[in-house]
Amino acid sequence: MSAPHTSLTGTGTLLRFALRRDRLRLPIWVAAGALLVATQSVSSQALYDSPADLAAYEASVGSNAATIALAGPPVGLDTVAGAVAFEISAFVVLVAALMAVFTTSRHSRADEEAGRTELVRATRVGRHAPLLAAVLTAAIACVATAVAIGAAATATGLPAGGSFLLGASVGAAGLVFTALTAVVAQVTGSTRATHGIVGAGLAVAFVLRAVGDVEGNRLVWTSPIGWAQATHPYSDDRWWPLLLCLAATAALTGLAVALLDRRDLGAGLVAPRPGPPAAARALLSPLGLALRLQRGALAGWTIGLVLLGLVYGGLAESVETLFADNPEARAFLPDAASLVDAYLATTSATTALLAAAYAVSAVLRARGEEAAGRAEPLLAAAVSRPAWLGSHATVALLGSAVVLLASGATTAAVRAAATGDGAEFGRLLAATAAYVPAVWVVAGVALALFGLLPRAATATAWAAVAYVAVTTLFAESFDWPAWVDDLSPLAWTPTVPVEEWQAAPLAVLIAVAAGLLALGLGGFRRRDLLTG
Amino acid sequence: MDTTISVSGLVKTFGATRALDGLDLEVRSGEVHGFLGPNGAGKSTTIRVLLGLLRADAGTVRLFDGDPWADAVALHRRLAYVPGDVTLWPGITGGEAIDLLGRLQGGLDPARRAALLERFDLDPRKRARTYSKGNRQKVALVAALASDAELYVLDEPTSGLDPLMEALFQDEVRRLRSEGRTVLLSSHILAEAEALCDRVSIIRHGRTVQSGSLSELRHLTRTSVAVETVRPVTGLAGLPGVHDLRSDEGRVRFDVDSDALDAVVRRLSGFGIRSLTSAPPTLEELFLRHYGQEPVEDRLVRTPEEVRS
Repeated sequence: MSAPHTSLTGTGTLLRFALRRDRLRLPIWVAAGALLVATQSVSSQALYDSPADLAAYEASVGSNAATIALAGPPVGLDTVAGAVAFEISAFVVLVAALMAVFTTSRHSRADEEAGRTELVRATRVGRHAPLLAAVLTAAIACVATAVAIGAAATATGLPAGGSFLLGASVGAAGLVFTALTAVVAQVTGSTRATHGIVGAGLAVAFVLRAVGDVEGNRLVWTSPIGWAQATHPYSDDRWWPLLLCLAATAALTGLAVALLDRRDLGAGLVAPRPGPPAAARALLSPLGLALRLQRGALAGWTIGLVLLGLVYGGLAESVETLFADNPEARAFLPDAASLVDAYLATTSATTALLAAAYAVSAVLRARGEEAAGRAEPLLAAAVSRPAWLGSHATVALLGSAVVLLASGATTAAVRAAATGDGAEFGRLLAATAAYVPAVWVVAGVALALFGLLPRAATATAWAAVAYVAVTTLFAESFDWPAWVDDLSPLAWTPTVPVEEWQAAPLAVLIAVAAGLLALGLGGFRRRDLLTG
Repeated sequence: MDTTISVSGLVKTFGATRALDGLDLEVRSGEVHGFLGPNGAGKSTTIRVLLGLLRADAGTVRLFDGDPWADAVALHRRLAYVPGDVTLWPGITGGEAIDLLGRLQGGLDPARRAALLERFDLDPRKRARTYSKGNRQKVALVAALASDAELYVLDEPTSGLDPLMEALFQDEVRRLRSEGRTVLLSSHILAEAEALCDRVSIIRHGRTVQSGSLSELRHLTRTSVAVETVRPVTGLAGLPGVHDLRSDEGRVRFDVDSDALDAVVRRLSGFGIRSLTSAPPTLEELFLRHYGQEPVEDRLVRTPEEVRS
């Protein structure tokens, strides 16, 4: 035997193989992060080109709780570079975190679940090698994102030191979520559960940071996103908070390896329990099965968005407080009541975005079932194509409405209680309800893609969600032509409570969603079933 | 005679790959029909066209006098299907999957479901993610065999089953046949087809190369024999049905037609047999021997009149 074999033998080979498998995915993720920063940099420099513009901007966002909750700590806003970091850092951190989660789970738990790890581990490969290769793959992607963001910001004219600190903070947050995914992938036996748990962790980290930033308290230090943003690029330029990220990454990776040593290949730490020997009546239909398959995700999203609604409702208080504390803001902003309304309109839109993401994930579940060969036995029984796809479409459409309305009702209830005005509940619930048709249009796009372009459906449907997200969140801060924004169904929704309810655009959106649904059902009827 | 499945000139392409290239298949009502071919010959593709999961590019396909693409749901009420590669829902138990599939196929016989679970030794409380390949196969088999169908479409149903289960499976297919059901059994194991089928169709490269009853096919089956004897064997070459005779240092190897086996073994016993191994030919060997590397067109045994009857 030539070289000694350790538990790490083969890591290098597996790492190269993983990078080869992801040679297209990772560059897209990295480019997406860099592109967001570059666009923000160019747009902000165009928008705030005079000191007066910048001062107005600083006064308005410095007292806007909605913006702070979404973006981060309002520091360094006296320079355009600081404004860029404030506007974009939270979103690129989310992009990097999602990249890290999906990359790590894809090369660890997903491979193991599919039986590929067994094949690999039967060769001259050490026990820890597949997991470490997965972590390293995601880590390389995080470092690449850091460098790309630094380069993009510098190239668009921002100071190099702050630019690379901004990039490094984004990459460091990605590293923490890489290691967190590695841990969760050891605990649960399924990729789906891994994504659910880490997704919940990401949401909690975001909310802790949002509350901490709005309230201006120490809660931000409980969140890895808070650590990343505590670097204050372009103003304080602090590198030391990144040590927290690195320490957490190292500790979590060590924990993942320790857990890996305590479980069997293919299993999680939690042993599966025996289930019912016969099916309940409710399961015995395509819709019953679709509900059963999707109930976990639906419950998770509902709970998550209800909690978010709770936080959004609670933070509305701070909108008024911040406004009262900031006399300069009154020169640029309307009165406190309409400021609260503007804040609530913004939170409705972000909730709608999340509901649209849920709707697309629910529609794409149908594609996952088809590709895995699990649609075949049903369609070979007496189940028609429209009935099968319709079952998943029903879950997606009704489920997204449930998720959205549950969140909106929570915010509305919190506000009604805080103001002591019962009428607030109906008024604010209407604000979220107005987004249901737009969310259905996004779901309809995914359904049409499923029917017409099944192999590309997953990638293009998520690209559509990303498009809607970017246009909704950056419509004002990116200097884009109006039609770019108008392509998003969310832009057609009246922003109640700031605007009046209008039935006409909502009716049009519902008609468009119905047309897209028909396209999806029709396309699926005419095409081959595509397995694999 | 009634025909349950009738396929002629079926073509299906996937991009540049021509998976089915003018395939013919006729399955008569009440027969167990073997659908044989090496891996990748197009068996599963044909079955998916028959089930309306894939759309034919050319040719005619009739299932119970219906069009499998247009009338899929109505036709599926009359059949039960076991896929070649059974994938189940990871979080759903075997028992739940059986009930779901059975219900969607048109209803299960609860007594038969219980008896089959018992016979196949399958725990219905386990979640599908923890089942082995063989156990997933059993779930699909129990769901199909416990349902009351006119046609059973079984795509390599015994891959992953152990020999005991294989024997149980063969009993079940004989039961279906005695009840007058029609069975389309795809396989690449010739012995399984020999044990069960009334007629077989053999396909290769997406075309039918042989179709007929087992006795018509009998000439295709040869057994490979290797024998070691006390005295050197003589006179074997002169016996009918012996092919490819080779001998080295007291060992003799040859292939023999199945119907000539008896005479050959009687001849061998006169020389003092020390050891004897015999192996039925695999389908792959059969193809190699009968069709070699020559273009399939030259060897096609097509009987369109019979196929379209």
